[in-house]
Amino acid sequence: MANAKLLMTFPVTATSHTLAEYRARGGYAALEKALKQMTPQQVIAEVTTSGIQGRGGAAFPMGRKWGVIHPSDGQPHYLCANADEGEPGTFKDRWILEYAPHLLLESMLIASYALQVRHAFVYIRGEFDGPYRRLAAALEEAYDAGYFGERVLDTDFACDLVIYRGAGSYVCGEASALITSIEGKRGYPRNRPPRLTVRGLYQKPTVINNVETLSNIAWIVNNGGEAFKQVGHAKDPGTRLISISGHVERPGVYEIEIGHPFAKFIHEDCGGVLGGRALKGVIPGGISTKVLTGKEIEPLTLDNPSLASAGSSMGSGGMIVLAEGTCMVRLLQVLLRFYHHESCGQCTPCREGMGWLHRVIDRIVGGEGRAEDIARMYQISAWNDGTTICGMGDAAGYATSGILNKFRDEFEYFIEHKRSRFNGTLECLRSS
Amino acid sequence: MPEIFINGQAVQAERGQSVLQAALANGFYIPYFCWHPELSVAGNCRICCVQVEGRSWVEIACNMPVADGLRVLTDSDAVKEYRKSIMQLMTLNHPVDCGICDKAGECTLQDYHYRYNGAPSMSHDVKVRSTKFHPLSERIVLDNERCILCSRCVRFTREISKSNALGIVQRGDTSLVRAAEDRPLDADPYSDNIIDLCPVGALLSKPFLYKARVWYLKPTPSVCPGCARGCTVQIWHRKPEWKLNALDPRLNARIERVTPLDNPDVNGPWICNKGRDLAQILERPRATQAMRKGEPVDLDLAFELARRLIESAERPIALASTWGSNEELTAFSKALPNRFTVLTKQDWAPQPGERLDDDLLIRADKNPNTAAAKALFPQQDEGIDALPEDTDLVLVWGEGFDFARIPARAKIVFLNAYLQPENGHADVFIPISIQTERRGHYTNFEGTVSAFDPCFPKPASVVDAEALFAAIASTESVKA
Repeated sequence: MANAKLLMTFPVTATSHTLAEYRARGGYAALEKALKQMTPQQVIAEVTTSGIQGRGGAAFPMGRKWGVIHPSDGQPHYLCANADEGEPGTFKDRWILEYAPHLLLESMLIASYALQVRHAFVYIRGEFDGPYRRLAAALEEAYDAGYFGERVLDTDFACDLVIYRGAGSYVCGEASALITSIEGKRGYPRNRPPRLTVRGLYQKPTVINNVETLSNIAWIVNNGGEAFKQVGHAKDPGTRLISISGHVERPGVYEIEIGHPFAKFIHEDCGGVLGGRALKGVIPGGISTKVLTGKEIEPLTLDNPSLASAGSSMGSGGMIVLAEGTCMVRLLQVLLRFYHHESCGQCTPCREGMGWLHRVIDRIVGGEGRAEDIARMYQISAWNDGTTICGMGDAAGYATSGILNKFRDEFEYFIEHKRSRFNGTLECLRSS
Repeated sequence: MPEIFINGQAVQAERGQSVLQAALANGFYIPYFCWHPELSVAGNCRICCVQVEGRSWVEIACNMPVADGLRVLTDSDAVKEYRKSIMQLMTLNHPVDCGICDKAGECTLQDYHYRYNGAPSMSHDVKVRSTKFHPLSERIVLDNERCILCSRCVRFTREISKSNALGIVQRGDTSLVRAAEDRPLDADPYSDNIIDLCPVGALLSKPFLYKARVWYLKPTPSVCPGCARGCTVQIWHRKPEWKLNALDPRLNARIERVTPLDNPDVNGPWICNKGRDLAQILERPRATQAMRKGEPVDLDLAFELARRLIESAERPIALASTWGSNEELTAFSKALPNRFTVLTKQDWAPQPGERLDDDLLIRADKNPNTAAAKALFPQQDEGIDALPEDTDLVLVWGEGFDFARIPARAKIVFLNAYLQPENGHADVFIPISIQTERRGHYTNFEGTVSAFDPCFPKPASVVDAEALFAAIASTESVKA
């Protein structure tokens, strides 16, 4: 199955997101099948068989996450779709929310049925105003059509869904901070143990999945877990939505089959580097994944095992293309400004370390870099590696050490000459 | 009971404990800022990290549940290196103004810096500036630059005092602890506990601000007389060896501050704000002169007059003080002849605006030793409007008694510590010592007995009530 499409299966038109058109495409058939022909255990078994991994960044197998929940343990469970797509460079969930909201809703209904969830949530980032309105309108349509509420499709299954809008915090995309935010508290990540699947939202077992991960469930139920496994990479099955931006001719959201050749994706599918320049590097999956140089990506394929062999990962599928001429010092400054701004301030290493890193890089860019600054940035990154409640500190450390490892000479040049080797801007204007 | 191994030594931990608790309970020290035995786990300071044997990374001990066979190291190289890094980060934006900080000398950050880091800051960059002297409440001032955001104070107001008065606003290294806008912290009678909880000098007591360096002070164990809970406290006063001679010598006998004395049987690690303000009760103007009908007399003469009145009285009434110690009350019961009717008197009534009682500590009875007094003298003064007309002597011990209730023909013997108008109306007035000048015990409403020690010498011209009662019983001179 070359270039299989599981999500982007229809041409986007002005009305393709509506319930009528979604039904015409065969929508809500999977829900009907799950409710009337399958037990919750069978749905969970299909999802486990499919081997689908989380698309939010951590690539955690969905079946294993679900397996922790005991549907009949008598206590309420909660399901939450993580639509707080805050990772810079990532905007793939937005495509689903805007153009296929019913796909998400149907998949969440099936997941709620499988996990015996009465109340499901969508936590959508505050900046997503258009996507929120699309999703809210779709939810209203779905309620009117009887897909939500009591006795869904005339079965005993009942489910309600609440869309909760975040207030624009990066950390609230972390699962435990997300539920803390839904609870109305300050969006601080929580300590593990206990895991969220043991004690999550309102101290009850909670499953939190990325929008894209959840949206695959309808297809899995329709076609079976085995069929899903045939798509994509043997160890990382399915397709992925890749949002590509930066110095690329045709930026946007693409659905690729996992295992697609990396270079082909950039140079052919996306039209190559902007202005025909050489490819300097790619941030493959949101800024928290380690940057890859143009040379490194050539033998790689777009799947986690392949990218892991190069020391990076698919992350959240937010790809940023960097053309030759991009100043990596300035790039790192932008990244660190983001991490400094978004650190929630709970744990010491991240709270103090992000600010410190930002001040050091600001100083380098300001022409007052010191020779030991590179070592200092490595050290602060290392202090954040796996030592905080959530992974934000680690992520900033990966981004920093990834760029420093591969473009150390640019930093040394900047510190020594007090200016960039390049023209000092990220822009790479199209040569006319 | 799970058996865990700390640094290779087997330790019996209790189920449900964290590694940090198990280590502390068994004599292994693990440093901590944000963890507190009475508060929920926050896990944000990261200094309590330990290494599980066989793992290359470190993990926090405060949130690591004990499991049978768990092997942790509290002093491996990785742990030492990590603690050092945390101390570097803790002090990165800390002003290190110990020289002018009230917390210096009892500051966890200071202690840990010397113990776990000791190196100067690696940073060459400017520190993040923040608010100084932020008035968190009428009693508490906050220095945000010194704050390490451990969130102990926030958790205290949520979990213990339940005023929900505090929260953290902003994020990252500009996070600030702030009180809610309707200022519930002012109304929280336990607010000052957050000053003790603060591991750094961020939260400071306004009354104590810049009053003393703590290393010149000495804590004396005592009992708060503010209510029937009888919280154990430490009364801080100048060390005798650091006595001030040239400056006002009265400062040598002054209560500088009051802090709780951790006592799981009574108050845990908390006391209320009234307990912090004991100086307002105990440092009122003192009566130091014995008197006969308002005329100054020698203490021995006053005692002799009192003794004669007690001997000759036929229908005497005595009012026992609920501020007397167990020892004094016993001596009182032995000193008085059987014809005395002894009533237990409530010396101190709730003040206007004072919280009457709650679930945590505060009790409606604002006297420390009502339980012991009632046990000896079950008859209550409360509810009696006037004393019987045929009473010929009233012996009043302690303050808080309305002299208008005494029949006109009755003689009055009055024992009081403070300068009050009634002192001059008594036929015989004898000044007595206060709690900070003697040793004794109080029995709280639950029957728990707590001891208090003297902080200061008593003035020469006042007498300990216990010695006075003993002298009455044996007709010896009180000065002897």
